[in-house]
Amino acid sequence: MKRFQKNIKLYIGFVALALAASCKPSIDLDTKGGNPENVDFSKYIAVGNSLTSGYANSGLSLKGQEQSFPNMLAQEMKKVGGGEFLQPYFPAENYNGSGFLYLKALVNGQPELGTVTDHLAIRGQTEDKKPLYIKYTGPINNLGVPGMRLDMAFAPGIGTTKGNPYFERLLPDNAPATTTYVDFATTKDHTFFSFSLGNNDVLGYATNGAVHTDATNALISEQDFTGRYTSFITKLTNKEQKGVVATIPDVTAVPYFTTVTRQALLAGANAALAAKDPKLPPFENIYIKTKTTPRAATDKDMFILPFSSAGLLGRQDLKDPATGIVNPYPYGLYLQNPVGDNFVLDEAEAKMVQDRIVALNAIIKQVADSKKLAVADIYSFLNKVKSGYQINGIAISNKYITGNIFSLDGVHLTPMGYAIMANVFVDAINAKYSTKLGKVNVSQYGGVALP
Amino acid sequence: MKKLLFSILCASPSLLFAQGSQVNTQGVRALGMAGAGSALFTDETSIFYNPGGLAKMDHNAVSAGISAVMYRSAFKESGSNQVYNTRSQVTPPFSVFATFGPDNARWKAGLGVYTPYGGAVDWGDSWPGKYELNHLKLRAIYIQPTISYKLTDNLSVGAGFVYNIGMVDLARSLPLFLPDGSSAHAKLTGTGTGIGYNVGAHYNFDNNVAISLSYRSKVVTKLKKGDAEFTVPDAVAASFSDTKFSAELPLPASLNLGLSVPVSDKVDIVADGTFIQYNIYKKLVFDYADNTPLLQDTEQIKNYKNAFSGKVGVNYKANEKLAVRAGVGYVKTPVDKDYVYAETPDNDRLMGALGLSYAINDKFSLHAAYVLQKLKERTVTSPVTQIEGAYKTNIHAPSISFTYKW
Repeated sequence: MKRFQKNIKLYIGFVALALAASCKPSIDLDTKGGNPENVDFSKYIAVGNSLTSGYANSGLSLKGQEQSFPNMLAQEMKKVGGGEFLQPYFPAENYNGSGFLYLKALVNGQPELGTVTDHLAIRGQTEDKKPLYIKYTGPINNLGVPGMRLDMAFAPGIGTTKGNPYFERLLPDNAPATTTYVDFATTKDHTFFSFSLGNNDVLGYATNGAVHTDATNALISEQDFTGRYTSFITKLTNKEQKGVVATIPDVTAVPYFTTVTRQALLAGANAALAAKDPKLPPFENIYIKTKTTPRAATDKDMFILPFSSAGLLGRQDLKDPATGIVNPYPYGLYLQNPVGDNFVLDEAEAKMVQDRIVALNAIIKQVADSKKLAVADIYSFLNKVKSGYQINGIAISNKYITGNIFSLDGVHLTPMGYAIMANVFVDAINAKYSTKLGKVNVSQYGGVALP
Repeated sequence: MKKLLFSILCASPSLLFAQGSQVNTQGVRALGMAGAGSALFTDETSIFYNPGGLAKMDHNAVSAGISAVMYRSAFKESGSNQVYNTRSQVTPPFSVFATFGPDNARWKAGLGVYTPYGGAVDWGDSWPGKYELNHLKLRAIYIQPTISYKLTDNLSVGAGFVYNIGMVDLARSLPLFLPDGSSAHAKLTGTGTGIGYNVGAHYNFDNNVAISLSYRSKVVTKLKKGDAEFTVPDAVAASFSDTKFSAELPLPASLNLGLSVPVSDKVDIVADGTFIQYNIYKKLVFDYADNTPLLQDTEQIKNYKNAFSGKVGVNYKANEKLAVRAGVGYVKTPVDKDYVYAETPDNDRLMGALGLSYAINDKFSLHAAYVLQKLKERTVTSPVTQIEGAYKTNIHAPSISFTYKW
């Protein structure tokens, strides 16, 4: 009894604590049970390109890596039996990684972009003066390599200083030059995977205005795609592993192709003209080069986003690349000096690219079906974004900057965009395998940062 | 014994007294019976519960009480495996009552200063619904001079005038992002005033059964020139310059009927039923003094329904010095499922209460009570964000008060 009295304060403390804890409201989580197919999330790897790596604003940074969609997915997997998810992070002091675009100012509502050039993770240069990044050769689960293409994944030499610098940084110095991305990605002893390759095999061509100059902007054939896609997926599923594959987004869904319009260009040119001399008749056409003859652009021709910041329209001091002679006609405003083919995905080119994407997505779905894989339909998702909708009280669309989804490069996503994309994967995995993977909290992630 | 205590506090279906943002903690004696007891206690707290009972006091008294109301809400978005809890928030409702009147007079006057409504929820800025609400603190202070008159030995009536000072402090995230990636936010703070009244009658039969009937009018609190402050990126600061806002917050009228029945010398059983006219709360409008294309007035539809509460309790006078009591209650929510907002994720609730009074000497007495309210889990779609998810709330309210009488 004495002892009881001595400890009475302690007892009261315990009771108070227990009371407070036991009376906290609890909502049951629905994570138990389910998983009739015994999906094993213990070692998840993410195979893919820039979207998988966390690339945004034309660059890869430490923050971007942290907010990659596979990392978000892996955090949810952890709650239902998933394991550690390692990413090839840039060192903390080199947090700006490759450098990236940021919004410097809004001048009369028009964005003015700058480039981040401090705290970069650049360790040297290649022979042709391209950057090499600080290596990360430890074990990783996020195998996303910006710029990786399906066809390139099978090519030897891509992991060398002459190849893709983001792949090169993941390989040890003594790695054989013949190491391919397929070999790299299929020897990780994984139990589950996400696969998001193929975009660059079409979009690389499209973003260069459907002009093929090197291996990064070639357009893959359906036959080539089928063979390589089947081969890659077969290797990833050789132990019956489960996984999820992503479809390829449509070109008309991304602001890279939809922001700079013929009408916006004309309005800009005519405003400049009126400022010079209001009596001059306004321009009525923008002229473009095509695969055949130059012609006046229509609203169905798509100008690429960088054309706007290139500041070429109306210039009279530009040399013709073929002849080296200055063309005195204002650039793009006269038939005699049309906008270069690489700046425009004209109607015919767009149609061709769109048809190819549809065909490749059919192949993706077919291969996924045959291997019993889930399909994260990013094509449909971004088409839905195109018409705009509300999520968590935020208006999202494919509008540049204000649409909240796309980063400043107009192709890659904002953290919020990646979070919504992660949920497309969550839904696809749960639908296919009846798992209870939780949804990512979209509200935790931001859109485009304003100055 | 410990186990028993748990089951009473956490599980026992109990009584009632608050809805929406209403938390009644004025009289710690009644609180010990989940808010029942308007007919039993004719003391200084009658100023709040029933001004009609005040004249039945055979002495004068001053009392002061304070409560720690702790809202603990949890939210889980449908399809998510993450539960978000409100940050621990304590609102301290207080009450001060004083009576004046000559000995053996038929009348008695009193003054009450108390906080009939008040609540605080803080969801923070990383939960899914942050574009609806970060936090809300609501508080109303009523100042009520009261007069009561004994018409006969059995029947007394009373009336009070209510002057209300209401305060609101609300913040929510805006879907605009600062250079560090964090979201912009808006903060609204303001103070408003309103007036109303409180009337009642108290009757006791010769066998000491007592009936209490009281009515509180609605009090519409008008906030004018509240401060709206915005933390936004510089690039859009011109569209979000700090401005003023006005808003109206109606606090509902209520009609209360109480009954107390002595079952022995030591035991009284009490019951109270309250009808609350919540249907005056149709919408909440924030009218900004300076609108811009990005800053428009907001209108939230509330469409509250009338609600009721019922509570029963038992009071046991253990000896000359000590009385213990317990009660249970049920409150029907005024909030329709299509209009559940994060500020009051309300639902029908159960209450359980324990309390005691202890007379330290002839002059001083101490009262303590503990009330737990459990709101049923409710899965709703937010009218603001369209997020579907489940809310669950527990409210803990320990209270203590001192009375000095002469």
